[in-house]
Amino acid sequence: MKHIAYTIAAFLFLAVSIQIQAEDSWEKWGPTSGLKGGGFIARVGYVIGGTTPLPLPAEIRKINSFSPRGGVSVGIDGYKMLGKRWGVSAGAHFFWEGFHTSADVKNYYVWLEQEGEITKGYFTGTNITNTEMWGVSLPLLATFRMSPRWNVSFGPYLSLYFKQTFTGEVYDNDEGVGYLREDTPTGIKILMDRENPTPYPDNFADNMLPLNLGMELAFDWKAMRHMNVFGLLDWGLTNIWDRKFEAISFRMYPIYGTLGVAYRY
Amino acid sequence: MNKTTIASLAALPILLASCIAAEQPNTECDIETVSLRLETPTDFFYHDYDTLRTVISAETDIVFIIRSYANMQSVPLSLRITDGASVFIKSDDGTEVPFLNGSDVDFSEEKVHHFRVVSEDGAWSRNYTISVVHDVPSEGNLFIDFESYRLDASGKYYIWDAPEVFTDGLWKNGNPGFKISRSSAKPMEYPSTPVAGGGPDGSACLKLETCDTGPFGRMANMRLASGSMFNGIFDVGNALKDALKATQFGSPFVHKPVQMRAWLRYEPGATFQDFDGKTVSGVTDEPDAYVVLYRNEDAGGNKVQLDGNDVLSSPYIVALGRLPHHYNEDGSDRLSNNPIHGITNEWQEVTIPVEYKAEIDNDVLENKGYSLIIGFASSWGGAYFKGAIGSKLHVDNVRLFCE
Repeated sequence: MKHIAYTIAAFLFLAVSIQIQAEDSWEKWGPTSGLKGGGFIARVGYVIGGTTPLPLPAEIRKINSFSPRGGVSVGIDGYKMLGKRWGVSAGAHFFWEGFHTSADVKNYYVWLEQEGEITKGYFTGTNITNTEMWGVSLPLLATFRMSPRWNVSFGPYLSLYFKQTFTGEVYDNDEGVGYLREDTPTGIKILMDRENPTPYPDNFADNMLPLNLGMELAFDWKAMRHMNVFGLLDWGLTNIWDRKFEAISFRMYPIYGTLGVAYRY
Repeated sequence: MNKTTIASLAALPILLASCIAAEQPNTECDIETVSLRLETPTDFFYHDYDTLRTVISAETDIVFIIRSYANMQSVPLSLRITDGASVFIKSDDGTEVPFLNGSDVDFSEEKVHHFRVVSEDGAWSRNYTISVVHDVPSEGNLFIDFESYRLDASGKYYIWDAPEVFTDGLWKNGNPGFKISRSSAKPMEYPSTPVAGGGPDGSACLKLETCDTGPFGRMANMRLASGSMFNGIFDVGNALKDALKATQFGSPFVHKPVQMRAWLRYEPGATFQDFDGKTVSGVTDEPDAYVVLYRNEDAGGNKVQLDGNDVLSSPYIVALGRLPHHYNEDGSDRLSNNPIHGITNEWQEVTIPVEYKAEIDNDVLENKGYSLIIGFASSWGGAYFKGAIGSKLHVDNVRLFCE
């Protein structure tokens, strides 16, 4: 999956850069108002990631394709250093993030309810998923200055969603296999194909929770006097689905990374 | 721990998340095809293709029909089952032994053999029966009163006994498909239902009603279900993928139909809608009723079975009788606000003459080379999901007259 390669490359780049900056002074790259000072960081970044079950359940046999949707994050953090190395920060990051994926699945349990009608069973074939989320994340982080120009921050965040979409469809895989076994693996074999794909019900996103709790890990590199280059990872720890929602038999977590630049004061 | 390691560790969980877990063993346990190996199949069967049966997923009792005078003994039997599954045959004393493909099975005296298929993961199994029965001679003329009906095994919808010459001795209709889309429907809310005491003679009759398929029907672009009744096979597995293929019409028949008479009563639904569910003003829904005789084998010896695509248009059709409708000059159907079929909400006996388009080969006829279809529908565009929700066709006391 491409986004993983990008993420790793970014982290490696950041890590290697650390070594070059050793000789810089703590004061020069510290907060404008001194080593125990505070300030703000205004961030803009590109968001990439996915909402995924962890680990991938055995029902998922193959990821055919993955592409990001949305991918914008704009935010501001206020920070206060408590000493030379330690500080705290809190902020608000507005985001639009999401992805599209095609996966081959086998015996994937689905339970669909619409207007009191229920269809359920085990699906084998290709499953397309698209999700997009608009919202704001509120991180509360501890900051550690690893070196004059490098900060790492870690702590919890709460995401609030303004809007979420979750759509998709199922049909046959490249070998032409696509069917739902109604109720149990011995039930009627209802064939499906891409000529007439079966979409997810319209109301799927209604079952998404409006908030998510997770942990954020952020690296900031002070590239210039007032400009940072940053990379951060938001790792959702709570299920995106309401616990009453049975259409998807496993928990899913949003895991999104942001790469961007920031104005630091 | 250096900083590079820390940074790599942060990315590690993403890598783990994208690992594909080991594939689980199969959970399915179907017999997909059954074949009998015979040196000269047509000594026993009417067609070479009759020795191979494709088993639809809803079917568990597999019956081969042989000529009335044929005497089948032990025959090598082969089953194609789900990958990884195992199959057992039950002996007379009830014990199960693994069944090896190609083993001889004694089908004399119409013995019914019981098989059990167990899934690869061992958690699921299905029971099947396989038997070979003799053809029942038919007299030709049929009288159908729809008096013999009951709930199916799921208790969700009604099924009707059909004349013995029809496939499985049962009428087929779209009820099993409706069950997929409208799981909450009660048996009397299905498109094909019995009406006790509703017939012109005070006995039970058949009611076919065009029904709304609900949210799942809309999702699948199948917004209505016409009430239907026909002989043949309803392959519910195809109901979503290719609905026209789900209705496989006809059963072998050794007589020449000349006329069908049926008691009919019709009440069109209020609003005619097209495939997209849009109201079409000025169009009144119409019922359908037809008799078809068609050649059931092509020049290459392959089975021909008409389905929703060509039930009334196939070049294999040799004789056809249908309730009259308006047609366009090119022969295509034209939905009209001035139905000429003349069926009203009062019971009346309608006569549908059967017209022959081709010469009948009597030798082929005697050897079940033709199949007969009797079909009724509450919306004649129902196969294409066009019609009026609430259209009701009542049917009773159908007579087929043969030469």
